[in-house]
Amino acid sequence: MTKLLNKPSLFEKYTPYLLILPALTYLLFFIGIPIAQAIYLAFTEKGAFSTENLDYLLNSPFSMFKEALKYTFLLAITIIPIQVAIALGLAMLFNIKFPGRNAALYLVILPLTISDVAAGLIWYSMLSSYGFLNKLLINMGLISQPIYFFGYQYRNMEFLAIVLTEVWRATAIVFVILFAGLQMISQEHIEAAEVFGANVWQRLRYIVFPMLLPSLQAALIIRTLFALQIFGVVWILAGRDIPVLAGEAYYEQVFLKHTGVAAIYALIIAGISVAVGALYIKLFKAKYLEAGT
Amino acid sequence: MSEALTKLQALIIAIIVIAAIGGGVAWYYMQQPKGVKIIWASTQLVPAQEQAFVKDTLLKEFTEETGIEVEFVPISYEDLATRLQSEEEAGKVTISVIGELHGGIDYFASQGWLEDLSKFGTLPDRTFPQVLEDYSRLHGIKAYIPWMTATYVMVVNKKAFDYLPEGLTEDDVIHGTSKWTYDALLAWAKKLYEETGGPKLGFPAGPNGLFVRFLHGYLYPAFTGAQVKNFNSDDAVALWEYLKNLWQYVHPSSTTWDAMADPLLKEEVWIAWDHTARIKDAIVQKPDQFVVVPVPAGPKGRGFILVIAGLAIPKGAPDQDAAWKLIEYLTRPETQVKVLENVGFFPTVKEASAKITSGPLKVLADGVNNQLNTPDALVALIPSLGAKGGDFKNVYITAFQRIVLNNEDIKTVLDELAPQLLSLFEETGAPLPPPDSMSG
Repeated sequence: MTKLLNKPSLFEKYTPYLLILPALTYLLFFIGIPIAQAIYLAFTEKGAFSTENLDYLLNSPFSMFKEALKYTFLLAITIIPIQVAIALGLAMLFNIKFPGRNAALYLVILPLTISDVAAGLIWYSMLSSYGFLNKLLINMGLISQPIYFFGYQYRNMEFLAIVLTEVWRATAIVFVILFAGLQMISQEHIEAAEVFGANVWQRLRYIVFPMLLPSLQAALIIRTLFALQIFGVVWILAGRDIPVLAGEAYYEQVFLKHTGVAAIYALIIAGISVAVGALYIKLFKAKYLEAGT
Repeated sequence: MSEALTKLQALIIAIIVIAAIGGGVAWYYMQQPKGVKIIWASTQLVPAQEQAFVKDTLLKEFTEETGIEVEFVPISYEDLATRLQSEEEAGKVTISVIGELHGGIDYFASQGWLEDLSKFGTLPDRTFPQVLEDYSRLHGIKAYIPWMTATYVMVVNKKAFDYLPEGLTEDDVIHGTSKWTYDALLAWAKKLYEETGGPKLGFPAGPNGLFVRFLHGYLYPAFTGAQVKNFNSDDAVALWEYLKNLWQYVHPSSTTWDAMADPLLKEEVWIAWDHTARIKDAIVQKPDQFVVVPVPAGPKGRGFILVIAGLAIPKGAPDQDAAWKLIEYLTRPETQVKVLENVGFFPTVKEASAKITSGPLKVLADGVNNQLNTPDALVALIPSLGAKGGDFKNVYITAFQRIVLNNEDIKTVLDELAPQLLSLFEETGAPLPPPDSMSG
């Protein structure tokens, strides 16, 4: 009986752990085990430890790792600021009530419903040498020869096409998060600021922006993770002219059957994602706490 | 009370009636002759249109004739290999027939996953060319029955004939005479570029394109007489110098194109090289606009690839007799002509060629025939490297990217890549593919 009496306290002690157990189990099964398997694939060869895959990745004449790393980061640091800027502007605009706002909202979000491959194909056909854009420009008499967007010789244009497509396709997700964040900011704060004589810029700087930071953090984390995984759009528009990490993982696995090398790519993407996520949380945390008070 | 009983009785009666009907229906279906149903997994004829042809025409007629139902499962090579491996390892095989390319079947046979088809005897009323007979014997067994062949040809928009370079006639190109050489192609592409104001020659050099076949199966045999063994010879250096030269007049979007039918139809290019199946659309839509011609010849001959698709039976497959009947049906001359008419793959039995009719198909078949019958033909086969097939292609693609696109030194790149290429054959023990193995 005494044992039974002790039980509730024991139970209480472990309650927090029990409560996070389902989540932990989920993480273990769907993230922990695959990571362990990826590490196993990456660093073993016929059951024994081996750095052969890593050696291939870094030193083989066939490996495009360095280029892929470079282009993945280049694309991320080009695309994300543009998307955040546009999304922020749109969110501010939509925060003002105007006629037809709901219809316009749907239009802005529409590209989000299209898969990245489909978006890539749409833009490919628009930008190809005899596509919509070139035909339009030629018919308007602005150019006499088509502008080439695609091909290894025009890698900068391919890069531009990828940026265009990604901005068109995925800005909406940043917008949705920021817009939701904006709507959560109580009008009272802003009215109070107005009473105290804050101008538009001051209201933005000292009220809206700090209170929007948690949403911005969420949007940035999601967008950056997607940017690191960028693949479909690049594969359609530029093939391997512009190699990216996820594309190389796919190529190594599907075309070359280098499962271990593909696993290293996956691990690298996962590693960078975790690092970037941690960085964002660290950078935004202090401000978030201030804003919360 | 009695009323309640009646309700209960009614309920019981209702249950009995429903059970009787259900049982009767089940009994009726069980009495029906249970047809054999087999699974045919194929990496070929996968595009939606081709699948529709297989299901609605080919297999429908087969089922009407034999009563055997066939479930056609279009599948990628990777998925097929994974599925076959797991089924063979678990000892629970569900696939009865496999349709795959020579290289893939070679890998399956090397793993011991295939039945030896010689136990079924020979197929009557059809003759397979000797080269196909020889190639379908792999790892000590008759691994597959040759099913379809394909090759890669050049397609010319007739407009381009107005810009032929000096000394080259339309007839030279169409019949692949000794004047139709890679140098003549270069002169033609240059003239087209200069006189039409843009590049008019294109290749499918996108990530899923087959341009790599042009490198190892066309240019290499034509310039060096072999696909592999003269990889970094002086002849090979001349080859890459030629290609760099030619590339100035090649449409730059080539590195993103996976198939040439669209660029041909949109007239982005006037001359293209591609797989017969991937240019067929263009020919069918505008048969009067295009001519299919043999590829040019190089100093060592007119190198080109013959692709072979085969039908195989997995080891321990269910309903093997039904599977063999399907193979017999698919290799009949009439069936093979139907396949050619509908999906553009060429027959593997000699008896079929007499039955080819006219129309766009004739354009295609003529081109293929002209290519096969050029006196300097140098037939190349895709090497059977199994899982290393991707690495093999990657060597040539990498050489192309570095030499032609990145402008790196030819000899340095080739010397660096050559050992990697040879090691693929050493690691797998695969023989060098023809024409390497023939020229001794």
